[in-house]
Amino acid sequence: MIIATTDDLPDKQILETFGLVRGNAVRARHLGKDIGAALKGLVGGEISEYTKLMGEVREQALDRMCEQARGRGANAIVALRFANTEIAAGAAEILAYGTAVRVAKE
Amino acid sequence: MTDTDETTPRRERPDPDELSCMAYVDDELAPDARAELERRMADEPELTARVSAYRKLEVLARQVAPAEPADHEWRRLDREGVQRAGLGVGWTLFVGGALFFYGWLGLELFRDDELELVPKLAIAAAVGGFGILLGMTLRARLKTLPHDPYTEVER
Repeated sequence: MIIATTDDLPDKQILETFGLVRGNAVRARHLGKDIGAALKGLVGGEISEYTKLMGEVREQALDRMCEQARGRGANAIVALRFANTEIAAGAAEILAYGTAVRVAKE
Repeated sequence: MTDTDETTPRRERPDPDELSCMAYVDDELAPDARAELERRMADEPELTARVSAYRKLEVLARQVAPAEPADHEWRRLDREGVQRAGLGVGWTLFVGGALFFYGWLGLELFRDDELELVPKLAIAAAVGGFGILLGMTLRARLKTLPHDPYTEVER
């Protein structure tokens, strides 16, 4: 599955468009990691607990979006965008969305 | 080195289920075969576990990137005795102290003669109910954890 933020792909022709596909995920770390993250917040620097959390959510949201695109017979997603919000303290949501297309080499 | 070299560990041919699991994760199964595997996964936990293991590998392979210098320093710190001991003692004192405090608080509440039996029972029911809910949620999480391929994502 080719995923791109651009509207089209170099050397590829869009043969068919399947419309919007999206995948979202909400995840949280456990209380122990939240406490560790709060302590790191006091002294500064990267909060690796939350970096990991965002990475997990991003990958899961992307996978769900790709799964939906595959289900429609697409082999690429163009115009990918991410949106994120916070549902609850310490939980992260990412929405990945784009346009599912079927492409072939020009 | 040749294929017949006895020092070379021999890789047994993957069985048909293993091939199906790999193809499933790579989205290379035909729709019928995919539906059949999914139907079997609903009844065969071992098959589900195999698919989960391959799924984890697939997600991990996406994350392959050079380690940053800070990663080495974090790993070195994780191995350092002072850091490990400090974190261990800190967590033990913190969790132990919190559990003791809440236990003591509960006991004092029940010893309180001014509080009637009904509110005491209500508090006990609320705390007990919360404990059961937490236990069940934890149980569900632990059961599904081996099938969660995203736990290995670092950043």
